[in-house]
Amino acid sequence: MSLKQFISDQSRRMAARSPWIYRINAGSCNGCDVECATTALIPRYDVERLGCQYCGSPRHADIVLVTGPLTARVKDSVLRVFDEVPDPKVTVAVGVCPISGGIFRDGYAVLAPLSKYIPVDVNVPGCAPRPQAIIEGIAQAIEIWRQRL
Amino acid sequence: MNFIKTLIQNLVSGPSTVSYPFGPAWTPDNFRGRIDFKLASCTACRACEQVCAPGAIRFDKTPEGLRFMMWHNTCVFCGLCEHYCPTDAIRQTTDWHMAHPVKDEFGMAIRETIVYVNCTGCNAKTLSSAPNPVGVEPPFTPEEIEQQRNLCPACRKKALAERGAVS
Ligand code: SF4
Ligand code: SF4
Ligand code: SF4
Repeated sequence: MSLKQFISDQSRRMAARSPWIYRINAGSCNGCDVECATTALIPRYDVERLGCQYCGSPRHADIVLVTGPLTARVKDSVLRVFDEVPDPKVTVAVGVCPISGGIFRDGYAVLAPLSKYIPVDVNVPGCAPRPQAIIEGIAQAIEIWRQRL
Repeated sequence: MNFIKTLIQNLVSGPSTVSYPFGPAWTPDNFRGRIDFKLASCTACRACEQVCAPGAIRFDKTPEGLRFMMWHNTCVFCGLCEHYCPTDAIRQTTDWHMAHPVKDEFGMAIRETIVYVNCTGCNAKTLSSAPNPVGVEPPFTPEEIEQQRNLCPACRKKALAERGAVS
């Protein structure tokens, strides 16, 4: 095995243990964002036990959490930021807003469902989903991500 | 010296992190979670469809009967349907394990049909929905519910009048 191959295999193995999470707010009411922040920041839920960490730049991200119904106003920004996330990536739709539009469904200013614009891998329904449910979704996303890596 | 007390307390009580997903998670008893639908109790009044703000519930007329459809991925867990349902046919459970891979998305729905039957009184085609219990005194017995289920609206009224109830 060449050194290059070895390093690539090792880094793949290590990366699979620690995906980085990035959060995109696509026009959410902030309910889901609060729950996402709770999931990460409050010791009671502590999503970092799963080996993942929130990061500040889309270019470092492996798992993308999207909240909100994709309003017409933020659509272009969301798509641009999403494109900056390197492949392979896993997208998690948090809350019913990105999945179907939820309470804003069929509103003139929302473009939900998100899956019309972005490939979504895991849905976490709830309005807002409780932190444990988000952790459950992230756990499923990590499984998918390991297969993709 | 207060911090020593806190320190000892924390050492004794252990970490506050809940063990989920490696262990069970606590759920409050009145948690508003996944919708559950009991076809046998539904009166087909369609109040739930009316009050559901995101339109997660829809009734459609099909050749077989009245089809009830409910999409979990649209529901915002407000609980209005449960509040307005006269028979508790639609309820919120405490189940919140709803995260799913996208390939299962179309399974996240309830599809049930209240079928047409022929009225045992006048043979007209009618929905075999449960009778509406609101204001019926004395309350329906299970046998009466079964009997009403096979009657058309006019015959139901007649049966109710015969038993001396005003509804
Ligand atoms: S799902 Fe509910 S809580 Fe989350 S962004 Fe939409 S409206 Fe807000
Ligand atoms: S009985 Fe309950 S579930 Fe059936 S239509 Fe009326 S409100 Fe909906
Ligand atoms: S809980 Fe609210 S949103 Fe969900 S189905 Fe019932 S009325 Fe609709």
